[in-house]
Amino acid sequence: MLLFDIVFNGNDSMYAEAEKAVNDAVAQYGEDMAVGFPDTAYGPACYYAETGIKITTLREAKEALVYIKGEMQRERRLDSVFKSGIATALSAELIELMKYIDGKQPYEAPYLGHMTDAQIRELGVPLVTYDIPAVAIIINAAPSVEEACALVKSYQAQGSFVCLVGGIIEQLKEANYNTGFNVRVFPMGENISSVAHAVSAACRTAMIFGNITPGDKAALQEYNFNRFRAFVNAFAPLDEKTVACGAGAIYYGFPVITNDMDFTPSIPKSLIKQPKVEEFNATSVEARNIKIKISNVDIPVAFGSAFEGEIIRRKNMQVEFDGSRVDCAELVHTCEPSEVEDHKITVIGPEVDEMEFGSKNSIAYVVKVAGKNMQPDFEPVIERKFHNYINCVEGVYHTGQRDMQRIRISIDAFNAGFKIRHIGEVLYTQVKNEFDAVVDKCEVVIYTDPAECTRIRHEVAIPIFDKRDDRLESLTDESVDVYYSCILCQAFSPSHVCVVTPERLGLCGAVSWLDAKATNELDPAGPCQVITKERPIDENLGAYEDVDEAVQKYSQGALEHVTLYSIMQDPMTSCGCFECICGIEPFSNGVVIANREYAGMTPLGMTFSEMASMTGGGVQTPGFMGHGKHFIASKKFMKAEGGIERIVWMPKELKDFIADKLNKTAKELYGIENFTDMIGDETVAEDPETLVAYLSEVGHPALGLEPMM
Amino acid sequence: MPFNRKPQKFNARINTVTIGSGDKTVAIGGNSTYPFYTFDAPTENTAKIGVEISDMGLEGLAEGIRAYYDGAATMADIARKAAAMEGADFVALALEGGDPNGENKSVDELIEVVKEVAGAIDCPLVVEGCKNVEKDAELLPKVAEVLQGRNVLILAEKEENYKAIGAAAGLAYGQIVGAESAVDINLAKQLNVVTTQLGVNAQKIVMNIGSACAGYGYEYVVSTMDRIKGAALSQNDNMLQMPIITPVASEVWGVKEASASEADMPEWGPQDERGVDMEIMTATADLAAGSDAVILRHPKSVATISKLIQALA
Amino acid sequence: MALNGIQIFKLTPKKNCKECGCPTCMAFSMKVAQGAMKIEQCPHMSEEALASLSEATAPPMKTIKIGTGDGEFSLGGETVLFRHEKTFVSKTRYAVSLCTDMDDAAVEAKLEEIPKVDYERIGERMYTELVYVNCGEGADAEKYTALVEKAKGLGRTLILGCTDPEIAKAALEVCKADKPVLNGANAANYTEMNTVAKAAGVVLGVSGQNIDELYDTVVALEKLGNKNLILDVTGADIKETFANAVLVRRAALKDQNRTFGYPSIVNTVKLAKGDFHMQAALASLFTMKYGSIVVMEQMTYAEALPVYGLRQNIYTDPQKPMKVEPGIYPLNGGDENSLVVTTVDFALTYFVVSGELERSGVPMNFVINDAGGLSVLTSWAAGKFTGNTISKFIKENVEPKVKCRRLVIPGKVAVLKGDLEAKLPGWEIIVGPREAVQLVKFLKDLEA
Repeated sequence: MLLFDIVFNGNDSMYAEAEKAVNDAVAQYGEDMAVGFPDTAYGPACYYAETGIKITTLREAKEALVYIKGEMQRERRLDSVFKSGIATALSAELIELMKYIDGKQPYEAPYLGHMTDAQIRELGVPLVTYDIPAVAIIINAAPSVEEACALVKSYQAQGSFVCLVGGIIEQLKEANYNTGFNVRVFPMGENISSVAHAVSAACRTAMIFGNITPGDKAALQEYNFNRFRAFVNAFAPLDEKTVACGAGAIYYGFPVITNDMDFTPSIPKSLIKQPKVEEFNATSVEARNIKIKISNVDIPVAFGSAFEGEIIRRKNMQVEFDGSRVDCAELVHTCEPSEVEDHKITVIGPEVDEMEFGSKNSIAYVVKVAGKNMQPDFEPVIERKFHNYINCVEGVYHTGQRDMQRIRISIDAFNAGFKIRHIGEVLYTQVKNEFDAVVDKCEVVIYTDPAECTRIRHEVAIPIFDKRDDRLESLTDESVDVYYSCILCQAFSPSHVCVVTPERLGLCGAVSWLDAKATNELDPAGPCQVITKERPIDENLGAYEDVDEAVQKYSQGALEHVTLYSIMQDPMTSCGCFECICGIEPFSNGVVIANREYAGMTPLGMTFSEMASMTGGGVQTPGFMGHGKHFIASKKFMKAEGGIERIVWMPKELKDFIADKLNKTAKELYGIENFTDMIGDETVAEDPETLVAYLSEVGHPALGLEPMM
Repeated sequence: MPFNRKPQKFNARINTVTIGSGDKTVAIGGNSTYPFYTFDAPTENTAKIGVEISDMGLEGLAEGIRAYYDGAATMADIARKAAAMEGADFVALALEGGDPNGENKSVDELIEVVKEVAGAIDCPLVVEGCKNVEKDAELLPKVAEVLQGRNVLILAEKEENYKAIGAAAGLAYGQIVGAESAVDINLAKQLNVVTTQLGVNAQKIVMNIGSACAGYGYEYVVSTMDRIKGAALSQNDNMLQMPIITPVASEVWGVKEASASEADMPEWGPQDERGVDMEIMTATADLAAGSDAVILRHPKSVATISKLIQALA
Repeated sequence: MALNGIQIFKLTPKKNCKECGCPTCMAFSMKVAQGAMKIEQCPHMSEEALASLSEATAPPMKTIKIGTGDGEFSLGGETVLFRHEKTFVSKTRYAVSLCTDMDDAAVEAKLEEIPKVDYERIGERMYTELVYVNCGEGADAEKYTALVEKAKGLGRTLILGCTDPEIAKAALEVCKADKPVLNGANAANYTEMNTVAKAAGVVLGVSGQNIDELYDTVVALEKLGNKNLILDVTGADIKETFANAVLVRRAALKDQNRTFGYPSIVNTVKLAKGDFHMQAALASLFTMKYGSIVVMEQMTYAEALPVYGLRQNIYTDPQKPMKVEPGIYPLNGGDENSLVVTTVDFALTYFVVSGELERSGVPMNFVINDAGGLSVLTSWAAGKFTGNTISKFIKENVEPKVKCRRLVIPGKVAVLKGDLEAKLPGWEIIVGPREAVQLVKFLKDLEA
């Protein structure tokens, strides 16, 4: 049978039951009889939320039947299926409503039926905070009592709220399984119509917590779809009424997972067939895109920043792993959701207790992550946190990264029972917690088998690292669609805004374009915001209307214009945490750069700190600009004024630090070999006259350029 | 040429938030000028004053404050006297005894105090948590629940617990959400953004942007308030247009200048006077920088600040 | 509009002659742009350049100097209305008021009271810098001069509040060498007062019935060639005074109206009318909003502790945090055997942390490192609070004086533990909490 027919038939039978229930009640009590559920201000809440009308009498219940009938369209379109699904739920609600007529209490323990407003409010807060990650609605008896208990327990264990309908309730009762609102297992009723109490809960949550106006159907659907994290688990055998209710659930965004493989066709992501009951939880959570919070790291030693600085010396060491001597690697790898089994931790090779005391070993761990919002660009951002995560373990020490990490496990940690797999626990928990915005599933594979480590390092990790480096190299300001603002340091420098582009990292040197991008994805309301670059004013200067608007907004109006590539016209401001400052040196047509560590005099007649006092604080000082060290070798470094060939002086230490990259850029841009040899330093000159003499001697190109002012 | 007045008009204003229910309500915010700049535009609502009382009763309070509450035997008595204080617009109940690092009173015990205080007075009420983020996340939703219908201001949700407190106070139980951040315009704004994303109505949010006692890093308070008012008015930034409430007393009465006894610091003179002036001067500075309401303890401070506000209105 | 350094540089001789004291013309130009030097300090500027520059670089608000020697104070010279835009430069100064209407005993009591408040806070001396001597109605030159002489005995810079040119002239005879302020010009007497002030070489204070009259009188005085003025913005009541203070400052800085580009004086004695708490509130209000001199009826510790703390905070460079002196500060009766607790020299950190440490009641040695006045994480990131700097400071300053070898470091720099253990042999390094509020419990647990 086609899904259309199943839903329409199910809807028809539910409606017929509702009609009969209402008519019987009218016959018995008359149309003026008051009706309502106990302890709620929202009447029959599904009907109220959908229509804006509160049913208070049997007459109004009859009118509601007319409305419901009108919604029961029979065209073979998805829209009709959804409308019929809702009509089924509304019919079910009327059936339930009739049970409560005349002050009756239709349900007896363990059955609970209607949920009170107070319960909804109590439930709503943890739902909003994710302390209740999901609401699971389980319909019908599971294949066995054991499976019924195991499934409910799995939801309880993650803090989810469980609503039960039908046979499963008797199964739990048989197993003496504790149920009730306080344990977050809520048996609603024997018949499928009692599922209306779960829908009522969703609708009241939308009205109370979502400020949804009763009758605003679109907003109600949107709220339930985006905010009410429910799903349905329906056990075989399904019937038409249940499927019709399921259509309503799907309309609200609640996927239905069933082990009935034959009754209906499946709908991707909405009506999912899962023959294994033990997989119901994982399938449901994934289908509804629910993230489960993890509260503590399950390892035998303490975990916290207090242990971050601990150093494990050789004499206290049980074993070590050393990427500089043997093959090691650490890697985050983005996978398809189907390739990742959440929280699976595998150790391939010997455990710590199988390693010789004091020995040096190989280790490679691959953290496989999957998520709707995950992008390979975030891999290095996550990886860089490994150092911090592993170091926070008491008795474990970590340095280095990529394939050069070194780890030591202390004798004390070993004696406490710390194992290799616990490194996996730590990585799993921390990645899931800290990167929950992008990581939905996470699995850790740890290799200690030397041959496997060699394979992982050379065949998997290094090619990925190379690919990433290539990507970083190839990222240019032109090749991306957006830049990012960064206002991390506005606490110190109220009007400063950094514009971070691929070729211009933040002036603190710590925030690259990828970092800013990741920060933005992870914390959408946070310090890094997207800046479009759709309206260029002058591409050579790097002036954009979008950029100007962004700096105006994020500096609260203190800044009007900022160019990305000029130090003379509206240069980017500095907060004060810049690694370097460049300043115009008029006698040589060039610029002098001083780094924070350099305490001496520059040919400008100013020291770093004197230059800093003029450029900090978000003030625009034409001719002077703060920047990161790596920006010096960028092709965009003061591009508007001619680029890096303007650099005439740098402290020796800085020059040596940046020489390779700077020479490479100079070669590429101007064909100059060993450009840094032409740049003066404190051993050559600390005043302009000597500097100019030196520059003439070596034939520095800046002398032949146009004056900068 | 005579002096040419150039009033600074803004096409934006601070939200008006009304605390309390029934006949006794108090409106804070609503202005479209820098504080007390009545020469630029008329004032919509004058600044308001709350009187702080604590679940710890009169324990540890300065002499002058204790004297005022003389004879008050129960929290209800204390609350009634606080509400009757000359110049008071509302009462602020601080549940400091809940601090797990201090008295660590149970939530149930504190809720009883809340009920007793709320039952004794009908003036607008502010309830302050114990400042421990975990405990407040547990305590303040319960406070919001038992005070349904009173339209109280719950101080405060912070970045770490905004979901629990924001959802309970702002959504489930229809109270006013106090959003507390740490003296930084961006943090303040970010908290407002996430709170409104939670579904809380922006018109039901009041900010505590973080406070300090004069002399204790107070420059950050001044600059943060200056910048928030500037952004709210000149940039029409509606995520910064929430009125600001500043709990002054809890900052002031703990510092050495206010708490050292005359026996310990004879040259400093009477302790009560020092505390009162510290409270007055800090509160005045808060108001001048942009607070729409302040929370004080000493009756003399309340009377003086009230007089000052009237004089500047 | 003010010129930037590059624009100024273009007008310099570009000779790098160093005669101005700067190594290069560029450095000089940048300093002029910042207001740290005056264009006239270059001996080689051309006349045209000077003329075009002096107007452009003249500040919107004049800096007026009063007093001499230790008692010399700069007032005004502000360039911004809000401190986050750029630093406020000239602190509010406070004056205690004496009046001929007071009887001798009251005057003596005041003279005795004023010097009592004199203390240091974060490297700054806090005391009543000025004394306001008011000439009450009916007082003659002799009586007033006698009071001025008495006040002068305190050695504080004086402000003479006197609207009678003859009496003022007589009083100035005894004190003009100390460069007091003569606050007394108004619409009725400004010509005579101008003559008196000019003859004595002192700053003249101007007032008006309202802000318009004040403005007109300043215009008239400027016409007479006097630009050495202070504006008494005190009005009939608090509201008017506040409006005047703000409007005068705003006109000068925002609207570039140079007529109001002078420091201000607010007399709270006239406004508070004997209510000392109101006086405290007003002192705070006008410290916040634009009083260059605030006149008060009294300045005891009750007023001084908050108001000087407030002033010290407000008049800080937003880029240069306040620092406390590095050293060992024993707390709660700490001695050489007490625990060592350390943090950075950022004043805010110091105050917050020391407050909590004191609350813990645990005797200890609180050691402040030289960390460039930055907060813990910032100084750590800037390399100013590291294993090296801390261990060096401990070895040089703490080890000779303290026997205890247990050191608590801030939780935010837990990462330094291993490094410190290596660099400070014999020390137990304990990682403290990340936030100051957790210190009391942490220390109690540690001692338990």
